Amino acid sequence: MSGETSGRDYGLAAIVDGKAAHASGIDHAEELVTLAEAMVGSDDAALASARQGLRDAMGAEALVDAAAVASNFERMVRIADATGIPLDPPVNAMTADIQEELGLTAFAAKSQTPDAGRLARAAGPLLRRISPRLMRALAPRLQRLIGAPPEPRV
Amino acid sequence: MSDSAIDYVSAPVPVCADLPAAHRRGWDHLARPGRWWTGAERVAIATEVRAAAACPLCHERKQALSPNAVTGTHAGPGVLPPAAVEAVHRITTDPGRLSRGWLDGLEADGLSDGHYVELVGVVTTVVSIDSFCRGLGVPLHALPEPEPGEPSRARPDGLVDGGAWVPMTAGRFGNVLRAMSLVPEEVSNLMVLSRAHYLAPEEMADIERGRGALDRAQVELVAARVSALRECFY
Repeated sequence: MSGETSGRDYGLAAIVDGKAAHASGIDHAEELVTLAEAMVGSDDAALASARQGLRDAMGAEALVDAAAVASNFERMVRIADATGIPLDPPVNAMTADIQEELGLTAFAAKSQTPDAGRLARAAGPLLRRISPRLMRALAPRLQRLIGAPPEPRV
Repeated sequence: MSDSAIDYVSAPVPVCADLPAAHRRGWDHLARPGRWWTGAERVAIATEVRAAAACPLCHERKQALSPNAVTGTHAGPGVLPPAAVEAVHRITTDPGRLSRGWLDGLEADGLSDGHYVELVGVVTTVVSIDSFCRGLGVPLHALPEPEPGEPSRARPDGLVDGGAWVPMTAGRFGNVLRAMSLVPEEVSNLMVLSRAHYLAPEEMADIERGRGALDRAQVELVAARVSALRECFY
């Protein structure tokens, strides 16, 4: 299974199997995956080792960035799973084949998202190829749609 | 308004200023009365989040084939209504196996959808900031002193059934941004934290865009591995 962004192919198996990180084609994937796994786990010694390993391999700034991203997704997964939101239809269509191959459809939370359908599944790889250009074209519109976050009530 | 003294000056590595700024804002937001909970209740939710990590019932449930197979009482301060305590502990420790039936049970026990969505916002704020501290190896921040005041209990107009378990604002895409729109201040807080921790929404559309020392593939690998470990389909 591979995914393509920016004209490069990446192995996606590391998403569900950390031991496959070395074959992902992503620089320093093993150190990044090790830190992500240790942050989700509860072994403080393993986390200290992962932290040092990433810092040695990529530097202090990368450690901060990786910790920031991992902790961001500790938030996002809980928002998604606690509110039962379905996967957005375009993303569902583009990733249906990947979901199946990586075994993500076995997750309990899959029940919130309707099946993408055969047509969408067949079109998924093509949609993925054109999506970077599409996303770039839509980015200004997306920015207008999202706008600035509302100010909190004080 | 409180003014949380969060910084990372003592961290073993330099931390760019946007992260402590977002965390200070998140902590101040946590201390203020919300739409459905008082400031004291919001800080009590945060306290319960930290108690959940050492809760024997949560640990036993996490090991069980079905969390519903294990009954008991959560370990923690327990100052919140039982339905709220259950919500905090389950979202914190076993988010991948939450269900519509579980949430229906909480609502039957008196937890309104507004209370629930705001609780999700508080829990996820604390979980992510605590997780960042743990990732860097720095102590957790002291929880803020709650501010006085009453919740507004104001329900936004224009909420619809968007296929989620809770009502959301109308719209076709961006479900994760709409998920907590029943409590707009929690959406605002989410966006501030996401900009600091990950990318701004408008930056996400540019797949060449990385974060600091990480290129985009590295960013998404960390994000996807955490999501898979938590068994999050979204």
